[in-house]
Amino acid sequence: MSKLGQVVEAVEKYNRFVLDQVKRARADEKFGRELINRWNDTKEKTPVTHTPTGLPLPRLALPEIDEPGEIARYLFGEGLPGEFPFLNGAYREMYLEPVREIELSSYGKDGDKNDVAAGGSPANRSKVRPTRPPLRSRPPEEPTRLFSGLMLAEDTNERFHYLTQHQRTHRLSTAFDGPTLYGIDSDADGVSGKIGEGGVAIDTVEDMVRLYDGFDLGSPNFSASMTISGPAPIIMAMYIAAAKRRFGSKVVPKLRGTIQADIFKEVQAQNETIFPIEASLRFLTDMVEFTTREMPRWYPISISGYHIGEAGSTPVQQAAYTLSNGFAYAEMFAARGIPVDQFGPRLSFFLDCGLDAEYIALARVSRRIWAIGMRDAYGAGPRGQLFKLHTQTSGRSLIAAEFKNNLTRTAAELILAYMNATNSCHSNSADEPFTTPSEEWIRLAAHGQAILLEESGIFKHTMNMLSGSPGMKAVERAVEAAILDEFREIERLGGVLAAVEDRFQRSQIQNAAHRYEQQIYDGTRPIIGLNRYRNGTDDIPEVKLARTPRAKQQLQVDRLAKFKKKNAGKAKRALDKLVDVVERGENCFPALLDAVEVSSLGQITGCLQEIVGHFRPMV
Amino acid sequence: MVAPIRVLTAVPICDGHDSAINTINLEFIRHGIEVIYLGYHRSVGDIVRAAIQEDVRAIGISSYNGGHVEFFAEVVDLLRKRGASDIKVFGGGGGTITHKDATKMERQGVDQIFFAGTSLTEMTDYVRKHYGKPRRRTAAKSSDMELARKLTEIEEAHAKGKRRTAKQIRNPQSAIRNPKVIGFTGPGGAGKTTLIDELVLRVLNRNPRARIAILSHDPSVVGEGALLGDRATMINSQNDRVFMRSMATRGQAGGLSPATHDCLAQLAQSKFDYVIIETVGTGQEAMPFQENGIVDLTVLVMNPDYGSRLQLQKIVMLDLADIVVVNKSDLQRARTAHSEIEQRLEQNRRGQQLIDTVAKRHRDPGVDRLFDLISADRAR
Repeated sequence: MSKLGQVVEAVEKYNRFVLDQVKRARADEKFGRELINRWNDTKEKTPVTHTPTGLPLPRLALPEIDEPGEIARYLFGEGLPGEFPFLNGAYREMYLEPVREIELSSYGKDGDKNDVAAGGSPANRSKVRPTRPPLRSRPPEEPTRLFSGLMLAEDTNERFHYLTQHQRTHRLSTAFDGPTLYGIDSDADGVSGKIGEGGVAIDTVEDMVRLYDGFDLGSPNFSASMTISGPAPIIMAMYIAAAKRRFGSKVVPKLRGTIQADIFKEVQAQNETIFPIEASLRFLTDMVEFTTREMPRWYPISISGYHIGEAGSTPVQQAAYTLSNGFAYAEMFAARGIPVDQFGPRLSFFLDCGLDAEYIALARVSRRIWAIGMRDAYGAGPRGQLFKLHTQTSGRSLIAAEFKNNLTRTAAELILAYMNATNSCHSNSADEPFTTPSEEWIRLAAHGQAILLEESGIFKHTMNMLSGSPGMKAVERAVEAAILDEFREIERLGGVLAAVEDRFQRSQIQNAAHRYEQQIYDGTRPIIGLNRYRNGTDDIPEVKLARTPRAKQQLQVDRLAKFKKKNAGKAKRALDKLVDVVERGENCFPALLDAVEVSSLGQITGCLQEIVGHFRPMV
Repeated sequence: MVAPIRVLTAVPICDGHDSAINTINLEFIRHGIEVIYLGYHRSVGDIVRAAIQEDVRAIGISSYNGGHVEFFAEVVDLLRKRGASDIKVFGGGGGTITHKDATKMERQGVDQIFFAGTSLTEMTDYVRKHYGKPRRRTAAKSSDMELARKLTEIEEAHAKGKRRTAKQIRNPQSAIRNPKVIGFTGPGGAGKTTLIDELVLRVLNRNPRARIAILSHDPSVVGEGALLGDRATMINSQNDRVFMRSMATRGQAGGLSPATHDCLAQLAQSKFDYVIIETVGTGQEAMPFQENGIVDLTVLVMNPDYGSRLQLQKIVMLDLADIVVVNKSDLQRARTAHSEIEQRLEQNRRGQQLIDTVAKRHRDPGVDRLFDLISADRAR
């Protein structure tokens, strides 16, 4: 049986354990009494908060039960927020207003923090820290992570500085252009139009220095997120090399941030893979082995369901494939000999949130399955059990026709995302179906979150405010059963890697996408303004897009040529060494760190492809 | 009957957004169009080379990652440069291509840009209306183009029922060195395409002047078009020294097209070192190369999962193939498969070769052995 089969068994076993505890609580008077005492104690210790109208509310809402069996079902089956199996949340308190005295002291100049918030894309990552009253340590990081990447490194750098100018913490999120995502250089044939399009062009360590110029990369108030998977180890090495150039090698253990590096989802959905799967996974593991040891604050992988969902999967497929990918990575890292408590806490997740009923509890169930699987099948400790989640509202649910309706769609998805206790969230701009988001709609999207979390009373007074309705429980049960069924199917195919090579997830996603389109076409899936209440008018405003000017493209190509010329001799030696290490099967990350000093992204990719081959596309 | 419209579809370099084009491909073939799908992350050079070799009527490009103004213009320019302006270009990119961009692109020579909200029916109608009529051609400007057009003539003649008579396929007295013709067949999913692509890589690497032609077959959907998708997974065969032609079976059973024989004759007269034919995935009774008589070497590619040992007795090609390959030999079942097939071949007493490969693996030693066998008499 593969590890995934063990996860299925662990969840089934845990569910039986919960039922046993329920029975025991009812039969064993002493145990029942203990549970009731604990329950009453938790309730009594829950602080009271007051709404602006003076209404007193508990900071933690709990079901009104007093019978020991039901208490056992809740405590073991769901867990209090921040407690195993984490159904109600990874942390004890999330989104809550700080208690009153602290509110007064921390309000003020950060009040308008969301004015320049969150732009257009997958990795607007932010971790809302639990606010545990009394709040003595430094205030939590702002929940904004500003996704940006345009033209050349210096242009993006300027944008980063603009976006963070009023922020205390600098949380940058980097989008790369097409050539960079595919590991090729700006001087490659036929890519000139792609330089700096949709993200920043990075060819060399010198570009990487320019990209984050002026930011203190070793500061606890700085973190960088990089949305790139295929060539992630090379880009990671460039980031480290750039940091060393500016701050010396002592900065390495202090580096904070995330790199996406999710190969499985690339092969299943997003098609940005550059090496054969096994080689890609090996380079990834090399990187993870290095970062978990040398950079304990870095997240070397963001296990992403978003792109699976956007490629057309059902919500259950999205959660099942993402979780099983996560378990497969864990298996790989463990097989390399990295201790589970070292890599476990460095895994993070990224999910899509759309409007289907499954999303009422999709992330809740995912968090529970992850915790049980990691604890019982992988032996992870408490920190390695946490499913740390970034959510983005569904881009696919937005349409161009009567696009202002997209504000409502995104708002509904945001409520669902926060009902699932996501650790951070990105809201899409209403104009995304037809353009790169413009400032006006980015602002509205960010304000949607502020209205929900800060203005409305839905989430800021009480943890668990909307958790645990009978309907939500019904969705949880159905979704969990369906996810386990997907796991069993993958297990039958020989595990995640075998299923991926068999194109299993890929074709399932494509089938689901096809059904979805069919349902829109035949009207069984109503889309307002498209197949229902259509008015037929075109209200799409004329948009003006910033494109990379030709002179800038040329500048990038020219300085790349200069870099290559300057380092020609050294590059050959560094790449020869890299080849040696890869051929010998050793961890190649240290050799990559040397290679990026003198060779470009495309040179390194090309050199590695000579040895391990190219990714053969799946269609 | 009129020959089906052939179009090539692709997604530009540095772009992996293939879900729109996948849907469009299926809609096209449902309406009788033959689609040669080149896949995603494809360069201008790859697209234009493929379009000329396949002699398609038009290229459809689906771009979602920016840079479309330049990319489409480069495709049009390169077509013009190669003297292939009779191949038209159309495309789309949902919301990423603005109306202003589209105007510019159409001025640069793109026929049509489809915007978000265009129905699949509109697109299909457009293709059938604009690319269904006969086209006027100027003289071919390259040997690839000349060859490609001859193959089109052969296919169209067959579609009209006027079978061209292949007189003499080979001219033994010819000064031109005859290419070695190798036929690959076997059940669907055995890995024929990957294996061929890996062999191509070896030929290109070992022999810097070698030229290869590939005739690749995919089934036509009954009463509809065909999705010719082999190119999309072939990463090494996108090369100026490789001439590849994708053919739909157009209603003929047995793994090849009605025009294969004549097309092969044409290729055999052209300057190639190797001509490779790949059949569609075949059944047990198939013997696709029996009639042609001009295949020098036949390779049967087997999947280790053929079922019970009894099934082997029914596979006709096991008697006829010169080389039998058990691909995916990393699978558990492969050892058993090897010994069962070995026994089966021994009954024939023909000295047939049996080779295990893992074609998906880079630098696979089994593929190396196969290459040595195939190229034994071709070393330069």
